Amino acid sequence: MLDVILKLLEVSFWSGIAALGFGILFNIPRSAMMTVFVLGFCAGFIKFSLIHFHIHVVLGSLLAAFFVGIISIPLAHKIHQPPVVFSIPPVIPMIPGYFAYETILSIMNFIFTESDASKRVELIDAIFTNGFTMFFILISLTVGVALPMLLLKKNSVKKIDL
Amino acid sequence: MNDTSKLIQKANLLLEISSLLMVSGANTNRVNLSIDRFATALHVKASSLISHKTIIMTLTDEETNSGCTRVQNIPPYLINFSIISAISKASWNATEENWSLEKISDEIETIKKLNRYPRLVILIAVSLAGAGFCNIFKGDYLNMFVAFISTFIGLYIFQETHKLKYNLYIRIFLGSFIASVIASVGILYHIGAHPQAALATSILFLVPGVPLINSFTDLMDNNILNGMVRFTTGSMIVLAMSIGLFLAMFLFQLT
Repeated sequence: MLDVILKLLEVSFWSGIAALGFGILFNIPRSAMMTVFVLGFCAGFIKFSLIHFHIHVVLGSLLAAFFVGIISIPLAHKIHQPPVVFSIPPVIPMIPGYFAYETILSIMNFIFTESDASKRVELIDAIFTNGFTMFFILISLTVGVALPMLLLKKNSVKKIDL
Repeated sequence: MNDTSKLIQKANLLLEISSLLMVSGANTNRVNLSIDRFATALHVKASSLISHKTIIMTLTDEETNSGCTRVQNIPPYLINFSIISAISKASWNATEENWSLEKISDEIETIKKLNRYPRLVILIAVSLAGAGFCNIFKGDYLNMFVAFISTFIGLYIFQETHKLKYNLYIRIFLGSFIASVIASVGILYHIGAHPQAALATSILFLVPGVPLINSFTDLMDNNILNGMVRFTTGSMIVLAMSIGLFLAMFLFQLT
């Protein structure tokens, strides 16, 4: 049990680092750096804990992104930055890079190498599974981040009373 | 005459603010919000058509009812969240303290001079992010090192070609191709437990996260045209990335 938690913490830590790295690429203000790291850490922790309890990766990503979207409303009040500044970088580490890689790998195999009919069917299966998982994760990330603001029907966080 | 030139000045200032916001990676809704706030502070009414490359804006003076229409081209996009944050703060202060035209344009000038992080800091931070990605996709520390090196060199190439003014998609292709060639060497020599993880994550620094997220928020706000433009930009970037990865894998016979 302990090593599961340690592994989770390690992965979440690197999610935070990845979020911060992208934040620096997008030139976030210095005062938002700590927030971005912590949000990236929390988002990674939520996503990988849910995956550990056998919840599908799409739902896990949606919930983690939704968490980032919700928590950035009170944070925007607290550190006086618009929420985009620290709600986009923490979501970037959840981008489904590995599914995209697997999709491309399967497409390449399908087009250039495989000639056996039954293996080609398996490859079509892999292309569709990985490709659509990737697509749905992308949608759930963007919707998850944007949803809290849309649900509150406000276009500026400053108008939300806490 | 004086009134008209004042109105033209206001229009130019508002156009400059909105094009700065678009370039820095704000969504259309945020640009409209900022225009509204500054327009209230300047006592004018603003209506605008915002597209990906051009902004058209008509200002109406609230007292004299005279109008002025101006068009501005948007320079190449360069994401900068510091500018978005600073303009957002300035817009609140401007409406609350009723800033004059001169004060707002001074503030915008200082915002434009905001520095980016030094190049080396960006290179190391993004490479660490690449290593972090590799850990997320079950790579061990040797794989993370490979991911770090390939991201570093890929991003370096990406920045150098920017100086040479190459086309964006060519730059993305080159960056992704070179990063994945270096990560493929890791697979060739079996460095670490999951060298595939390093290859899959070495190109993720190019991922068009901001265009894709902005595209969906624009679509949800019913800015369909801008949303579609951003989605197309994002898809083109993904296509360029995957062609680079594809070519590297083909050369190294990794299928």
